[in-house]
Amino acid sequence: MKNKQTGESSIRVAISLLDELMNLAGELVLSRNQLLQAIKSSDTRNAEVVGQRIDLITSELQEAIMLTRMQPIGNVFNKFPRVVRDLSAKLDRKIEFTIVGQEIELDKTIIEAISDPLTHLIRNSVDHGIETPEQRRQKGKPILGNIILKAFHAAGQVVIEIIDDGKGIDGNMLVDVALQKALITADQAAALSENERINLILIPGFSTAPKVTDVSGRVVGMDVVKTNLDKLGGTILIKSEVDKGTTISITLPLTLAIIPCQIVRTGKERYAIPQANLEELLRIPAVQVKKRVERVGDAPVVRLRGNLLPLVKLSEVLGIKTIYEDINTGKQLPDRRKNIADRRSHQSPLISTDEQDRGDGRSSNEKKYRDGTERRQSIDSTLNIVVVSTGSMTYGLIVDQLQDSEEIVIKPLGCHLQHCEGYAGATIMGDGQISLILDVSNLAKMADLTSFEDTNRAIAIAAAEKTNIQKRKKQQALFTFRCSLNENFAIPLNQVERIEKVTAENVEVVGGKRVMQYRNGSLPLLSVDDVAMVQPLADQEELLVIVFKMRGHTIGLLATGPVDAVETTVDIDKITLKQRGIMGSMIINGQTTMMVDIVELVETVRPEWSIETALAEISNQSQEVISNSIQL
Amino acid sequence: MTDNNKKIERIELSTFYVGNALCGLDILQIQEINKLMEMTEVPQAPGYVNGILNLRGQIVTIVDIGKKLGLGETQKGPDSRNIVVSGKGGEHVGLFIKKIGDVVTAFPDQIESAPSNMKGIQGDFFVGVYKTENKLIGILDVERVLGFENE
Repeated sequence: MKNKQTGESSIRVAISLLDELMNLAGELVLSRNQLLQAIKSSDTRNAEVVGQRIDLITSELQEAIMLTRMQPIGNVFNKFPRVVRDLSAKLDRKIEFTIVGQEIELDKTIIEAISDPLTHLIRNSVDHGIETPEQRRQKGKPILGNIILKAFHAAGQVVIEIIDDGKGIDGNMLVDVALQKALITADQAAALSENERINLILIPGFSTAPKVTDVSGRVVGMDVVKTNLDKLGGTILIKSEVDKGTTISITLPLTLAIIPCQIVRTGKERYAIPQANLEELLRIPAVQVKKRVERVGDAPVVRLRGNLLPLVKLSEVLGIKTIYEDINTGKQLPDRRKNIADRRSHQSPLISTDEQDRGDGRSSNEKKYRDGTERRQSIDSTLNIVVVSTGSMTYGLIVDQLQDSEEIVIKPLGCHLQHCEGYAGATIMGDGQISLILDVSNLAKMADLTSFEDTNRAIAIAAAEKTNIQKRKKQQALFTFRCSLNENFAIPLNQVERIEKVTAENVEVVGGKRVMQYRNGSLPLLSVDDVAMVQPLADQEELLVIVFKMRGHTIGLLATGPVDAVETTVDIDKITLKQRGIMGSMIINGQTTMMVDIVELVETVRPEWSIETALAEISNQSQEVISNSIQL
Repeated sequence: MTDNNKKIERIELSTFYVGNALCGLDILQIQEINKLMEMTEVPQAPGYVNGILNLRGQIVTIVDIGKKLGLGETQKGPDSRNIVVSGKGGEHVGLFIKKIGDVVTAFPDQIESAPSNMKGIQGDFFVGVYKTENKLIGILDVERVLGFENE
């Protein structure tokens, strides 16, 4: 054991490689001298040429030094024939063990780290994969079982495959075990594909061995293998067919020291996200943010090809002050928006004058930018999402800006920053600045995203939300009307007592309040624009008064035509157009219609009517009225 | 021989101001003193960490020594410098200070231990106090100050 350790601390390097390094070092020194000379004599042209040379030499040097760290994978593979032989003798198996691709080279640190997981997998193959000769004969297979250990290059990575022709993995059995151990729910189990079933074996806490042997079935399971590989930036994939055999593929990066990263910017600083964690980049244009970013409870999510992707704001997790760049001045100012879909303007976008204003604002570019309409629609408000996966879960990281992908060299952080869990290290960028490398799985932890259960909870909440919405979606009779000429409003039909046609002269202003003579009394009048920020009542001769009763008072709501009674499924959007007096909005006959909250309306205009008890009673009633279908 | 002995006994203190206090460090502990470079902020870092910077390919953590000693935040000014010292395991740490002072030659036998009324954090961080004709120099215990023992 001691021997082995001392052996690992030194490394064998081919003389030719050492010579090459020596050569490069010599060239580097020469170029440095030239560069110094060029700088001294302010010869920019020459300096440029030398700079290019140094660039070339440096990359060659880097490559050569990386090569010294490369070791043949055979160093690890060589110990396995013995492991297999010993085990098969003990377990009474007849196995032919083949090794392919011993000469494939990997970084020394990876070679060292992969030894244990591979041993585990090989033992598994011998113990659980290959059947006893007796069983094999019964199945009509050759008595001699095959295990192939194979390494090869694929797409700049190294793939190691362990192939056996044993009994394979029974996905359904895995599902049963997972259900027993409550690692997954029945609903999830039903949704799993065959491949996903087999890969259940990688979930922590999963060990299927029916009895504990000294070979396998100890609690340490495949999840440990997976965790080890995750640390190396590798992935594991299992394919299996019952009675045909199992293929386990492990994909590993060639080296750990230099990793390709996606550079992103949040706040003032740039951050690097290892490409191994990167799934895809998602860009939601500003105009679509509202539509595509949904909320489940408090958590923002985005629907990505049918899956709910939880969103995490990098600036929130790390506590970075958010800034935005002012389009006009180019200055960076603090951003005060809290929610992704927050709007800055209280005005309704449906209002046509606002539309015109916005058009003007675009051209003059001065007047409107402060109220935010401009900014919300600008390219800057585009939501940049980096979809990252940590092996066990996938989530979206919201960043301010996406930049290039770069190859970076990891440098460790000092001891003062050791406990900052969000970082895997730091790196020096091309311009000499440092950027921090994000540790995606720890970020998830910091944002309180937990893998399996929580995503499920999100799904459950989403499902609950859906049924809720469906409940609300019952048919309801609505009375639609207008206030100005081009905004549509609706109130539940059962709240309407009757409709009166009046002319503008009938409306009298007495004591600062609008009234109308009605059935030998005075009918107080109000209109939607008294309370809500909508366009004012159209100034026309013919008006409508919608008469309704509330708390023993009869009130008239001034409106204009055309009026209609529609039976529709009420799916109120309670966010977009919500404001005082407006409960929300919906689409009726292709037109956005605002649902008027009568209770709130009356309360605002006649606060003296709101006696506590009456208020509770009425609001209960009206809520019932709104949420239930009308029996009329 | 005697000459040699004297040399050994003498230490040179590089002095600097932390807040209004004059502090000193054995010059041999200091790797370099440089002007400020562009620092990268580290969100979530402890309050006394100003950021990290790139010192010829090495990543150096910059610690606001004033904050660490409880003497208040060090303001960035024309005189402020980073004193880079190497800590445990060859790690480089920069001490962000207000102003650099002279190099003072000191005799170890004239260094007195920190006065007993210097309590709390501050007392812990000083190895001793050196008296010059008109001022006192507190000699910092780098290892302590940089808290290589984790908090």
